[in-house]
Amino acid sequence: MSSVVAFSVFGVDWEFLKPYIVLGLALGGVYALSGVGIVVLYKATGVLNLAFGAVGAAGALIAYWMVNHTSWPHWLAYTTCVAFGGAVNLLYGVVFGPAFAKRDPLVKMIGTLALALILLGIMAWRAPAGGAFVRVLTLPSSTHYYTVFGARVNLTQILALAFAIALTIVTTLFLRYTALGTAYRAIANDREITATLGVPVRRVEASAWLGSGLVCGAAGLLLADLYTSLDYTALTFLVISSLAAALIGRLESLWLTLFGGLLVGFVQSILTPYGSVTAYRAATPFVLSIIVLLWMGRRRVVVFAPSTR
Amino acid sequence: MGAAHAQERAGRPRLPSINRPIIARVLVIAGLLVVALFVFPATLGGDWINTFTSVAIYSTVAAGLVVLYGRVGMISLGQIAILAIGTWVATRLTFATNLPFPVLLLVTGAITCAIGVLIGLPALRLSGLYLALITLMAAGAVNVVLAQIQFPNGGGGFTGRTDQPSAIGLKAVPRPKWALGDNAYYRYVVVVCALMFLLVLLHFASKPGRGWAAIRESEPAALAAGINITLYKLWAFALASFITGVAGCLLAAQIGQPNTYSFPTSDSLSLIATALIGGIFTLWGAIVAGVFMQLLPFLFQAQWGVNPNFLLIVFGCGLLQVLLSAPGGLTNQFPKDMANLGRLIARKVPLTRQAAFGIASILALIVGIVLIITLKSAPIVGIIVVVLSPVFASLSQD
Repeated sequence: MSSVVAFSVFGVDWEFLKPYIVLGLALGGVYALSGVGIVVLYKATGVLNLAFGAVGAAGALIAYWMVNHTSWPHWLAYTTCVAFGGAVNLLYGVVFGPAFAKRDPLVKMIGTLALALILLGIMAWRAPAGGAFVRVLTLPSSTHYYTVFGARVNLTQILALAFAIALTIVTTLFLRYTALGTAYRAIANDREITATLGVPVRRVEASAWLGSGLVCGAAGLLLADLYTSLDYTALTFLVISSLAAALIGRLESLWLTLFGGLLVGFVQSILTPYGSVTAYRAATPFVLSIIVLLWMGRRRVVVFAPSTR
Repeated sequence: MGAAHAQERAGRPRLPSINRPIIARVLVIAGLLVVALFVFPATLGGDWINTFTSVAIYSTVAAGLVVLYGRVGMISLGQIAILAIGTWVATRLTFATNLPFPVLLLVTGAITCAIGVLIGLPALRLSGLYLALITLMAAGAVNVVLAQIQFPNGGGGFTGRTDQPSAIGLKAVPRPKWALGDNAYYRYVVVVCALMFLLVLLHFASKPGRGWAAIRESEPAALAAGINITLYKLWAFALASFITGVAGCLLAAQIGQPNTYSFPTSDSLSLIATALIGGIFTLWGAIVAGVFMQLLPFLFQAQWGVNPNFLLIVFGCGLLQVLLSAPGGLTNQFPKDMANLGRLIARKVPLTRQAAFGIASILALIVGIVLIITLKSAPIVGIIVVVLSPVFASLSQD
């Protein structure tokens, strides 16, 4: 350990805050990751997926079961978690996506609430929580430690942040330069006209569901580790932080979503050591989103949408 | 697109029409009230009466959703959080003041109304999706704050919380003096909730009701017609928060010492699901929602010994089924489908594919619930049947 001189900027002891910054950026990375998954699916299909957290939590529970109750190799458990996310989302998208395609965005969103309810019910039935019993799912990468700028960082935290940034870059390039990406953008503009032009709309949408599902499985796995315990209700409602990220990105910009996710994680974590606000730090996504909404709503916007059905 | 839109219009459930004989409706409502007020307390035991008290309270909460979504087209995912705020405010006020219960109800309603409006205000100018998101986040934030400050237990200060509750025992929120027993309090709650329903009905039948309907059909058209959109949306939010706050006050006095476990976050999702399943476009649907949210768990757990978590699965499947093939909910669809089924049996008229799958979908939901209850050793069979319901509903689409 190098001799670190405590330094202070704005009267804040940043040296003291370092571990919190690291954790905040790691959590923020996962929020950003989920946020990007939510925004891409929303742009391609118009579905704001509120079941994002529930699917990830269910995947993580399956991984937990495979690690602790079977002798199968651990990598298989982690792969299953990610694949489960993809499979569930794909199934939902293929069975119900077309039926919801022409409905109002609000109705599409409520449809995903149903998926969240079903998964919550299954999880509460098969894996009842409560009492002192706590499930912990530790990834092997969490035992590798590095020192970055004098702060102790484990590999999972680095992976979370790196994965978020990589996903944002890759998705941006994908949307801009590939044929499938162009199809996504076309569908986002007008589904009917895109179909007329010969784009297999349903297959393209299915691919969006699959992709966002894989991201959702990965996010569930990472959160189960970073969040210290695998509490499926908490994981399900951690979708709120990701939604805040998506909202800061105005459900449109991937880079703003990345920034929003990191901001939510950072602010939330950096408030931890301050006794007066620490208990309320989980309200950060709400506060940040309110600020963004006030900024967005400063001009009147009349929404030309078919009536809500 | 145009055709699909026209079809959606055609599939829209009829709003309660004026020409339906009003006397018949009043008689039905009066009859139901008499049964609820006099027959239930005389014939049912204490557990049942407590459950029906909760049914009335949660029906009122669902009525708030009927106003917001059924009339104005705004969805709030945070109504349970608003209910929790109402309960907290009522508890705090009882320990701080000596207000008579009816005044307490009104004051709690007013304060909750103000808080609800504050939460909804930033999103009112944006599309409905943002309001849904902001209310979901507000629900999360309220949970965080409540987990920290807890419900008042008779202490001082703003939070009204003390680590050393009085030696005589925990203070409880008192019920009105002439409604102390469970039966009497149940009657009191039913009357107050009926008044709340009446308040909502009066709104529907007058100027705000027409303004809300115009906004739901088309915001630009409503704007062009000179309707103050922000004002009427706020009004709807205020009304929903007010009746939810009153319900929160009733809930506080029902449980006496409320705690955070009474308001799990997943209840917000269940409330949306049951309100839509019951029928979001009429107040009857709100009553069905209350029954689904409170009576069914009671029946599952206390009467039949079945894990109530299955209900979440049933609610999820039912929600998908309703969204896909029956936007009017059970109160609208069930009579129609049964009539279809009756016609099929009586005349052997071939059904259209959509109607057949629609009926199959509702039947799967009901048969599934029955199977879950009867096959306690193998609930998975019932769950599989329930899951078929939304799949049939999706098949009944074009």
